[in-house]
Amino acid sequence: MVWPNRYSSLWHMIAAPVVWAVHFCAVYGGTALVCARMDAPGLARIGIAAASVVALGLIWWIGRRAWRQWDYASRANRTHGGPRAEDRREFLGHSAWLLAIVSAIGVIFVSLPALFIESCL
Amino acid sequence: MKIGIALALTVVLASCEGRQSVLSPAGRDAEVLANLFWWMLGGAVVLWLFVNGLMLYFSRIRRKRHSLRVAQWFIFMCGVVLPTTVLAGLLIFALREMPQQREPGEGLTLRVTGESWWWRVEYWPDGADEPVTTANEIRLPAGSRSEIELAANGVIHSFWIPALGGKTDMIPGRVNRMSLEPTAPGTYRGQCAEFCGLSHAHMALEAVVMAPEEFERWLGAEARDARAPEGAEAKRGKQLFLSQGCGGCHTVRGTPATARVGPDLTHLGGRKSLAAGMLPMDRQSLVGWLSAPESIKPGVNMPGYDHLPPADLQALAAYLEGLT
Ligand code: HEC
Ligand SMILES: [Cu+2]
Repeated sequence: MVWPNRYSSLWHMIAAPVVWAVHFCAVYGGTALVCARMDAPGLARIGIAAASVVALGLIWWIGRRAWRQWDYASRANRTHGGPRAEDRREFLGHSAWLLAIVSAIGVIFVSLPALFIESCL
Repeated sequence: MKIGIALALTVVLASCEGRQSVLSPAGRDAEVLANLFWWMLGGAVVLWLFVNGLMLYFSRIRRKRHSLRVAQWFIFMCGVVLPTTVLAGLLIFALREMPQQREPGEGLTLRVTGESWWWRVEYWPDGADEPVTTANEIRLPAGSRSEIELAANGVIHSFWIPALGGKTDMIPGRVNRMSLEPTAPGTYRGQCAEFCGLSHAHMALEAVVMAPEEFERWLGAEARDARAPEGAEAKRGKQLFLSQGCGGCHTVRGTPATARVGPDLTHLGGRKSLAAGMLPMDRQSLVGWLSAPESIKPGVNMPGYDHLPPADLQALAAYLEGLT
């Protein structure tokens, strides 16, 4: 897929945190609804597991693209503070990669309770 | 100077002991919380020493340039790996404890309702179809888990007995639940932990943990009607109680007084304290309370009876004290 602004747009950088935010809302909202309407903790836990797998998959994919964009491996000089397009591209890739890590941790922390708590209480 | 520090330390440490302290737990749930607290405190001390030690090392002891590689590695380890591991460990520890603290009770259910500024308490033993009602004191059997339903009348309150477990809010219009598993018999103190109006700070609660057989005996006695007054003064007190309209707000089971506006007084004299933990349960406190409750609890929803002659207040107090 070709994205015209891929190397300058901030949106690509924050894609992973957006996935985390959506996962958060889906998990909290979904669990509240399922518990209040159906009192079905099993269903809620399956839903949380599914949402988490999807979110982690997306974040993995975003993180991989970010890693490539950062181009960490192929360069001797690892700074990207210059005023050039290449620096900007690598800086955005670097940030996106770090944000993907944080987002993955966030998604895992948000869904951990479902692993231990088996009731709606 | 030294004496000052020693004194300050004694005061601080002494306040950790006692019957209203999370640091001297008397129940399973409180033990877990205290345990968690000590671990976190220890961890915080270690981290503090580590961070400040590093600062000292890099700014005073070894002030040379460091390579970018080392710096980046350092930031990654201490900024990402370490906090993630520590937080994950704490989270998992806490999550593993949560199901236990939400477990249903093993028979006894208490319903505690936050009022302004006292606690309405109902015991529902297994299979009961009508509760045993009392106020301002809860009693629990040691060694088993009791279910506690929390409600509120009018405004929000929070139910907290630090020696037995965590706190849970009481919210008008809904019922929250918690459960407690006390382990050590004794008398503990709870406190309303959510601002609820003028006398919020004067809304405490006795929590008595008893051996199971003793608890059964106590609950059996608590379910009975009030004792008849003994002695001329107490008998006159009962007459006054009924003629002064106390029964318009209070219940004394077995008498014509059946209102539920204020605390149930059926076994008042058997409680450990008066007016939601504010006064000792004795004659003098009773007289003081009846003549000027407002001076003890600002905003209180009970009128003062200081217009009655002292002998009448004494008689009322004698009657109430005898309601064991
Ligand atoms: C208008 C209602 C009302 C009337 C009338 C009233 N009370 Fe009260 N009473 C209350 C309320 C409300 C409380 C709880 C106050 C608090 O702790 O905030 C209370 C508390 C008490 C307490 C302390 C209860 C406890 O659990 O420690 C005693 C004792 C008491 N009243 C006795 C009396 C007597 C005796 C009379 C009559 C002379 C009387 N009351 C008349 C409303 C009333
Ligand atoms: Cu309060």
